[in-house]
Amino acid sequence: MTEKSLKRVSYTMLTGPAILIYAFIIIFPILYSLTLSFTKWSGLDLPQFVGLQQYRRIFSDPVFYHGLRNNLLVVAISVFGQIPLGFALAYIIYRRLVAGGRFFETMIFLPITISAVVVAILWAQIFSPAGIFTALIRVLKDEPRYVLGIFESRNYAIVPVLFVILWMYTGIYMVIYIANLQRISPSVIEAAIIDGATEGQILGRVILPSMVNVIFTTAVFAISGSLKSFDLIYAMTGGGPAHYTEVIAIYMYVNTFKYYNYGFGSAISVIIVAMSLGLISLIQVVFRRLERRYGT
Amino acid sequence: MKKATVIVAVLILLSAAVAFASGQGGESGRTEVITLSLYEYSDLADETDVKNTKILFDTFYAKFPDVRLEIEYGFDEPYHDKLQAMLVADQLADVMFLWPGKRTGTVTRSGKIKDLRPWIKGHEDEFAPIAMAAQGPNGEIYELPEQVTATHVMFTNEKLMKDLGLSFPKTHGELMSQGDKIKGARLIPIAMTNKSQWQMQSCFLSALTERAGGMDWYKRVIVGDNAAFTDAEFVNALKVIDELSKREMFSPGINQLDYGQALTQFETEEAVYYIDGGWRANNLVSELTDDQKPYMVLNTYPDIPNQKGTSGSTAAVAGTGYGMHSKLTGEKAEAAWNWIWFYSGPEGSKLRQGFGANPAYKLPTPADADPMIKKLVKFVGETPAGFVIDAVMDAEGMGVLHPAIQEMMLGKKTPQQVAQEYEAWVAANDTSRK
Amino acid sequence: MELRGKNTGWKVGAYIIMLAFTILTLGPLLWLLYSSFKPHNEIIRHIFALPRTMYTENYFEAWRRANLGILMINSIIYSTVGTALTTLLALAAGYGFAKFKYRISGFFYVFFIMGLLITVHSVLVPLFIMETKLRIADTRLGVILPYVAFGLPFAVYLATSYIRGIPDSLEEAAVIDGASYLQIFRQIIIPVATPVAATILIFSFLSNWNELIFVLTLTSGETLRSLPVGVLAFAAGRSRNYGLQFAVLVVATLPMILFYIFFHNQLARGFAAGALKE
Repeated sequence: MTEKSLKRVSYTMLTGPAILIYAFIIIFPILYSLTLSFTKWSGLDLPQFVGLQQYRRIFSDPVFYHGLRNNLLVVAISVFGQIPLGFALAYIIYRRLVAGGRFFETMIFLPITISAVVVAILWAQIFSPAGIFTALIRVLKDEPRYVLGIFESRNYAIVPVLFVILWMYTGIYMVIYIANLQRISPSVIEAAIIDGATEGQILGRVILPSMVNVIFTTAVFAISGSLKSFDLIYAMTGGGPAHYTEVIAIYMYVNTFKYYNYGFGSAISVIIVAMSLGLISLIQVVFRRLERRYGT
Repeated sequence: MKKATVIVAVLILLSAAVAFASGQGGESGRTEVITLSLYEYSDLADETDVKNTKILFDTFYAKFPDVRLEIEYGFDEPYHDKLQAMLVADQLADVMFLWPGKRTGTVTRSGKIKDLRPWIKGHEDEFAPIAMAAQGPNGEIYELPEQVTATHVMFTNEKLMKDLGLSFPKTHGELMSQGDKIKGARLIPIAMTNKSQWQMQSCFLSALTERAGGMDWYKRVIVGDNAAFTDAEFVNALKVIDELSKREMFSPGINQLDYGQALTQFETEEAVYYIDGGWRANNLVSELTDDQKPYMVLNTYPDIPNQKGTSGSTAAVAGTGYGMHSKLTGEKAEAAWNWIWFYSGPEGSKLRQGFGANPAYKLPTPADADPMIKKLVKFVGETPAGFVIDAVMDAEGMGVLHPAIQEMMLGKKTPQQVAQEYEAWVAANDTSRK
Repeated sequence: MELRGKNTGWKVGAYIIMLAFTILTLGPLLWLLYSSFKPHNEIIRHIFALPRTMYTENYFEAWRRANLGILMINSIIYSTVGTALTTLLALAAGYGFAKFKYRISGFFYVFFIMGLLITVHSVLVPLFIMETKLRIADTRLGVILPYVAFGLPFAVYLATSYIRGIPDSLEEAAVIDGASYLQIFRQIIIPVATPVAATILIFSFLSNWNELIFVLTLTSGETLRSLPVGVLAFAAGRSRNYGLQFAVLVVATLPMILFYIFFHNQLARGFAAGALKE
């Protein structure tokens, strides 16, 4: 075998399996989904081509928009809640502002190791009329019939869910940031200290600039994860009551698997992917700007 | 390092081998035995369910040793999801557990389920009339109902009621005025849950709809014959729920309560009244103490204002049962029918009656049956009944109706708005209107 | 590198945040744990109190009725096999993309990254139909393949960026000694990439273990279900017996917590060893 063809064969053997499995499981079904999104199909007989009808239905459905709003709130809590909080926690541990950093690190990361289903069931119980949080409030307010009214509010029912999301996922960002903080050369910090910099200045001038890339990457993961989020919310509230806590992935699931509107469901998936791509590109633009301003 | 790699590699290969070898659905090799695949609806986490199911299958095997059932279990939503997926992939089991009406409608009307009428011929009178109601557009019967289910029962704790100096209300207004007294005693007037949304429709609204409009109107509104859900009748039914909700007559946080919690509230005597389906009587059999049973009574909702329907009516539907794949013929079809008839016919019904079920097959109630069962049998036998909405209307419409009802209870919509929303969807989409 | 004369203000604030977070994290979990040793009635009546006696009945019943034994075994099979395959394939592909200077690698790489945006639901139905026609639905293989496929995007991303950072000189030395590409892969790349391999392993294992939707849809046999599915089916509606529900939740949770406690060093090191550099 020649040098060149040997190289090609090796390349194929190395990358082939991964590409094949990926294409088989993900790409073909996605393309299939894409074509399905232009049809009306209940699973029986043959799909019926309907052009953009499904998309029109989706964009005129108030339930969709409410779900979208909830998704954006989830994205917001991830990007503006989990990331700063995760960073703050990482910073505290890294700069040794408290003793027992290792212990705290382990504790904060703990929730992620638990399945989203378990987390959902646990917190649903805690907030339920028969749960421990409700019991606590009942005792404090001396109101035996008290129930968590926030779940019944169209605009705010999602707040407890957002709280649980924050609780569960912040740890992972913290760990990522700690790892990257540790790669900053200590001598730079030493120098800054010697030059008399305050904690705040060290944070702003030395640490943040070198973390911009990581923050960008984690923001991307946060966004893609938020737009897909399903397990936790579905197991916790099922999207209820009355669609108040529904997100787009649940909207898609219910329409596809409960009502057998495969065309409709496929259209929603396509929209989710498109939105993810859009948001991520947006973030990329923002970060390019930031990079240019602060340099690396 | 090398050694460790080898060990790991071997382990991976071993597990992969195990994975490949053990994952298949299992084949049997005996040819003189007829094998049928059966998709069974059973809660494997419910001791009672598991025990009873085993007795039924064991008895069947003893009677028909030449039939072998390969059973796959499912329960609740996943059962329906999987059933649908099987339909789509053309992988339906030979025998399946089905619902009458729309719940498993896509499957039964797909043409892949056999019409059982030829087999039932001659036996129709042995069943309660509702059980023989048409399940398909041309009168087909796709599954042989195991029971008649009343979905609306207003269980009453007569002792609590008397202790408070109250008697069973004759009208909706009377019940409403009892509210303050009951709540003053730190009790719940009507225990009920609605987190999964179907309870309010199935266990209450359905019966209220009959009360508000009467059967003639009910039949017409389904097909849209000079009647619509925006009519005053349906709005009236919704109004009853609206008023109860505003008066805080239900369990606190009803829309956040998981199904089953109201039952607990009733059993622990925290509630005077409790609205749920007739099937709950089975729970009461095993969960109430013998002392409690005498004063736990089955009623229906009192008369409502502008009532055009029958006083004291409930909502009922033919129960679930087994059906078979349309592709079965000859011996296999015979074997499948053997199971179906065994289960819902005289033999299975007798066994199930022992478990506390109320079979559609007419059987005398044993003298030693549990008091709660006796009450249920009397209830089902004597109470006039209307339709259950989700049995006669499309499932997708429930996705519109249920959240709307919840929003009404949360004070965000008026009964009129709920009626309008639902009617709008039905008029445009429901298959019963076409 | 301690800051001399640190602001006590910062310190106090830091402690408050840390303690708050820890209490919030540990609190519910500890409550879950000790409540699982109470029978349902006791939980309802005395929701805050510690158990009067250790009511282990919940656990025995939970194990039996929810079939936790089989669920556990299946979870182990799915997770280990899926993870092992993902890691191996990702490292191989990473090597191919990072070190073989082919243009098409760029295309494939982006191809994989796009996978991060795909929700499982988009492929669920077509996948089920495909697997059924190929007769691999309701088999362990039918679950493991999607696990690998969905784990690959992130794994390939990590592997490729890490391997890119391996100095070419190492390979060149091996080439001079006459090694083939595959030998280089086995003897140089894999050992050197151990940190990122560890990260991929741990990450994949965690997500595979907790995975729900695929097992739920693609399997129906009782003997094939995994822990999260069993937990959902059993515990979700079980609000009539909280003791039982909690016991199931604890059993479902404990393995991963222990796994994490043992391996969290690896995880941190993996992240640190350049796994997440640009």
